[in-house]
This record gives sequence, structure tokens and C-alpha cells, in this order.
Amino acid sequence: MKSDQFSVVSRLDGDAAIIYPKGYLNNLSGESLVIECGIYIGKGITKIVVNFGETSLINSIGISLLLQIIEDLRNIKGTICCTNMSKFLKDTFEMLGLMKHMSVFPTETEALKYLRSGKK
Amino acid sequence: MPFNAIPAKDFLNRESELRYLGGLPALKGNALGGDVFLEGARGIGKTELLAQLHRALFWEDKATPFYYSFKTANLKAAYFAKDYFTRFVRQYISSAKKDPSLANHAAEPLQRLMPVIASLGLHWLIDCIEDFQQHVNNNDGYWQMVSAISAPVVAAQKSGKPVLVMLDDFDAAAHLYETHHGDAHDLISLFGESMQSSLCPHIMTGAAGALGAIFTDHGLLGKTEPLPLGPLPQDLAAQLFRSHLANLNIACPAGVPLKSLAILRGNPLYIRNIAKAAWKMRKQELSEKDLIECYSFDVASGETAFYWSSLLSRCAGNAPRRKAMLKLLLHSVENGGIADGKRLAMISGLDEKETADMMEALKTAGFIDKQDAVLHDFIGCLYAQEIEDRELAEARSKIEARYLAAEETASFELVIPMASNAELVVAKAVEQIGINIQLDAEFLNYLQLALIEVCINAIEHSGSYEKKVYLKFITRPDKLEIIVENSGKPFSLETLKDVPVEEKLRLGLKRGWGFKLVYSIMDSVKVERVNDRTRVILTKNIINKEVLHEVGSIQRGIPA
Repeated sequence: MKSDQFSVVSRLDGDAAIIYPKGYLNNLSGESLVIECGIYIGKGITKIVVNFGETSLINSIGISLLLQIIEDLRNIKGTICCTNMSKFLKDTFEMLGLMKHMSVFPTETEALKYLRSGKK
Repeated sequence: MPFNAIPAKDFLNRESELRYLGGLPALKGNALGGDVFLEGARGIGKTELLAQLHRALFWEDKATPFYYSFKTANLKAAYFAKDYFTRFVRQYISSAKKDPSLANHAAEPLQRLMPVIASLGLHWLIDCIEDFQQHVNNNDGYWQMVSAISAPVVAAQKSGKPVLVMLDDFDAAAHLYETHHGDAHDLISLFGESMQSSLCPHIMTGAAGALGAIFTDHGLLGKTEPLPLGPLPQDLAAQLFRSHLANLNIACPAGVPLKSLAILRGNPLYIRNIAKAAWKMRKQELSEKDLIECYSFDVASGETAFYWSSLLSRCAGNAPRRKAMLKLLLHSVENGGIADGKRLAMISGLDEKETADMMEALKTAGFIDKQDAVLHDFIGCLYAQEIEDRELAEARSKIEARYLAAEETASFELVIPMASNAELVVAKAVEQIGINIQLDAEFLNYLQLALIEVCINAIEHSGSYEKKVYLKFITRPDKLEIIVENSGKPFSLETLKDVPVEEKLRLGLKRGWGFKLVYSIMDSVKVERVNDRTRVILTKNIINKEVLHEVGSIQRGIPA
């Protein structure tokens, strides 16, 4: 486990926002993630890629806030893609039945390609 | 010599006490010291220290040693007086003539020793013997007691050479009686005058804290210095054990760590008994496993068992009381102390007063010792045999299984505050514990998640005023057990509902996943309520290091 402080950075790539959560995803950091996504959704962005490459650990509150983002995007008929997930993270999402509500890609590039073409 | 002392080379870590006690005659002569009460747990080596001191003084010429054990003494005043006086005379002339054998011929009448006494020029001693005999002839119990107890003082005054009086298990002297048990409460005070003599320092032994109960005379209490005798440190305990084994021709390779000796907590009596158990079991080379086997033998049917069992019989007096005492002792062991009188009476099956008397007797005899794991094992074994009517072999294998499992066990404890991100400290701790026992890094991520969830649950929902979460990690080669405990509101697994994610999305319920994750990750999750605390016990079997590379093995525990 890396003991990095949580931070969220993001960038816009065409019509998709790419979010980089880093560190321990819990209630406080999950809120930051929701806010960050909310800013893009507020600007009319409906495609969001969350790159979990730097997420070291997560808890159930962090996961519930991710569900909030899924719900927000569902309300505007948007899409969420998750990339660079560790096996641990994928298994955890699988345990909770979250995987069918998101598109998972090994890399950011593959996710963006899918969002542009609509094909996996 | 009144007893056999172990070789000086095997008498470890008591040099300073031995030196101090040996110098007591000079200190008391110069009013720089008084009498000493040597206190310590049973088997800790009080008697052996007196034996070593006796041997050292016997061959020197500074003071005459006199040793008397109340352990096996007849406490009826007349018998006691005769025994005490006779033993003193024998030991005195034995010391004067430097002939240890003279002290041991207990059956030989004192009259036969008269020529030896005369040859030593101890005519005053002949007068003493005649005076004592006169009190016996007059059937004067009181003066027999006074003559006997003051004999060492008379000898010191007549010879000008101090007499060091060693009274082993002196607390028993409080039970001296005239004709019936309990008919004379203060015969022990007759020792007072003898103890005040500057030529006769007294060293008494007894249970820790017993001194105040022995002396009602505050003057004596004030002049008696308590000298506590502690256990041997672990390295010296191992050294002593190896030395006993060597004397018994049993090999014990240097590589055997003798970890299980720690159970004995540096008690020389137990150490010796285990070595003897190994000899009785015909061990030729001792391994760690053999040590546990010898221990179970000793505590179930060996010398340690015999020692405590005899003491219990003496303390109880009859079979029904022994059974009642045994029930009380097991209750005390299992509950880490003693409950209130009414509850104890229910356990013993006797009335409150009798139960209270029994508890007092057990305490005085040294049976209520929270630290003594050997005593606890003995009690468990005896209870299984005498109350539950179980086989000895069953009781022994139970002990062996427990210690063999414990041998490979390590445990870590941690307390965290109920504060933001405190659960990360736990995650870090479990990571390091996992590294210590070489667990797979990914496996550790799951354990971290499970623990984080349990801690968050405690922090968020307990409403505890204490604001602390207590964790204990117990690692075994095949299993990791984690106990998480906190005060506050009770928590039950039955209140948890498994809501599918679709339902959560529909209802806007996004929380409530913590224990689903915990269940999925751990092999067993138990929740208990202990007093005002909630205790969650998490268990993960460690099948092999790669176990968590298979997602299926994780998922099999998810509740349907």
C-alpha cells in the first residue's frame, strides 16, 4: 500500500474528461472525485474516463461515491469508463456487482477509442 | 545437613541475595539489619536459597546455621516443641563438629549424643537438654515451646557465636495449636523474643504478602525486612534446564530454542521437574516437541502435579472439600480472578461462609496466581480427571495441542483512535504483518480492505465514548485471525441486508457494502458482545501464498 495523500487531477481530451484519482479513495477523497466529475457534467460532458492507475486503496464509502458518479452519468445518458485498474480493484468491483455498470479498459487510449467509435 | 542442596554451579542468579543473607549475622550484630522475610511464588527457590545458605555457613565459622521447615511439621505445640528442639540440637552439634551426618539421624535419641556434646565442651547444651526434658516430664506445653524456640538464642549467648535461624514456610506457624486445631491463635508470637536477639537473625519464608498476616505485633513487623525472590530470567532458565538435562545424561542440541520453557516463567522447581519428566520418559535427545510432551506429562501426572495435588489435599482436608476447591480454582482460572461470594458459593455447592474460608485457604496456599500458567494447566488437568471423569491421556493431549499450536503463533496488538484515516494505520500494520509472514501482496490488499471496513463500521456506528478501536492479529502458519473490539452500541450481522447494486441505484441507497466485502474476503466472520464491547473475529485460512490470485476463491464467500 502506498501512503500517498489523495488528490484528483483531470484533463479534457476532445469531448471526454479524464479523471486521475490518486491515493486512498475514501469518503473525503470520494467527494472530491464526485465534485471533479460534477464540474465536467455541469459543462455538458457526458463521457468520463476514470484512470485508477494511481489509486492505491479504496473503501466501501469511496465505492459508494463512485456509484454516485455512475448514477449522475446515467441520468444524463452519459458513459463512464474505468481504466488501469489493478486486479484487486477489479475483483472488488466485481464482488459488489459494479462491473456491469461501467466499461472497463486496460488503458486510457483504449477507453478513448471506444468513446469515439462506440466499439470495444 | 538437614537437606540436599543442588550443586552451587546450578544455583543461578541468586548471588546477591545469598551474599546479603550470609552477612545478616554481622549486620544484625551491628544493629544495621533485622530479620528477613523471604517471599515469592511457590517453587521460585526460597527453600533452595536457604539450603545454599546453610551449606555455605556450615563450612564457615562466622555463624551457626539452623534450618527448620514448617512444611511437614506437626503443629501440635508439644510435638512441634520437641521436634524443633531436637532438630536444633542435632544441627548445632553437627555444625560444631563439621559432621553433616549428625544432623540427619532423627531417630537417634538426644541422650545418645551426650558423649559427642561433652567432647565438644558444650556443657551448657547438656543443661538445655535436661531443662527441656524437665518441661516434658512436667507436661508443661508452654515452657516446652519457650525452651525450644529460645534454644538458638541460648546457644548464641553461651557460645558468643551468632545462630542464623531459617524458618521455611513460616506462615504455617500461625496454625500452631495446643490440643485442637484453632485453640491457640498466637503461639507464633513466642518467636518474637528470639527474633529480637541481636545474636540470632531469623530468615523466614512464605507466600508473597503473607508477612502482614503472620505478625500482629507491629514491632516485629517493622523489624522484619521483606526480601522478594523473583523468577529466573529466560536465558538463565534455559541454562539451568540444560544443566539439569546434562546431569541426567539427556542431550539437547544447542539449536533447540526451548521456547516452551517460557511457560514456566523462570520457576526453578518447574524447570527441574520438567527435566526429571524427560528422564522418566526416557528421552535421550530433547526437541521442542519433546519439551511440550514432557511438560504435559509433568503437569498431568509428574512431580509438579504431585506437588500441587498434595498441597490441595492438605489445604482441603477431605475429598468433598477438595472437589469444591477444584471447582473454585477452575472458575478462577477461566475468569481471570474471583467472582463475588454468592456466585462462588453456587460454584462450590457449599454455603457462602465455607466457600469464603476455602477461598482464603487457597489464596494463602498460593493457588490464586494469575501469572502461573503451569498451575492453571495443572488445575485444568485435575478438573478434567476428578470432576469430568476424563482420561489422563485426553487431558494431556489437550495441553500438548494447545502449546504446539501456540509455538507457531505470533500475535500483535494495536489500538487506534476513532479518528479520520486511523484505519490506514491498521492497513499499514496488516501490510507489515503480512510481509513478516510472507503473504502475497495482493492477498494483503484484500485483508486491508476487510479490516478497513470493520474499523470504519466501528468508528461510524458504535457511538463509543471511549473513541478507541482495539485490534489483535494472531498469525499461525495456516491461519490469520484478527480480533477487532470497541465499546459502544451493539452491532449484529443479522441486521445487514444484501441489496443488489441495481436496487441501490434505484433507491438512492449507496452505502451498506462494508460487511458484504468483509464476508467476501474472510473465511469466517463472527460478531460477539462481550460486556459493553462488540468483538468482531475475522479469520482467513492461508492455504498457500497464491490463494488470492484466483478470483473464484475470493468470491466463494459472498453471501447469496
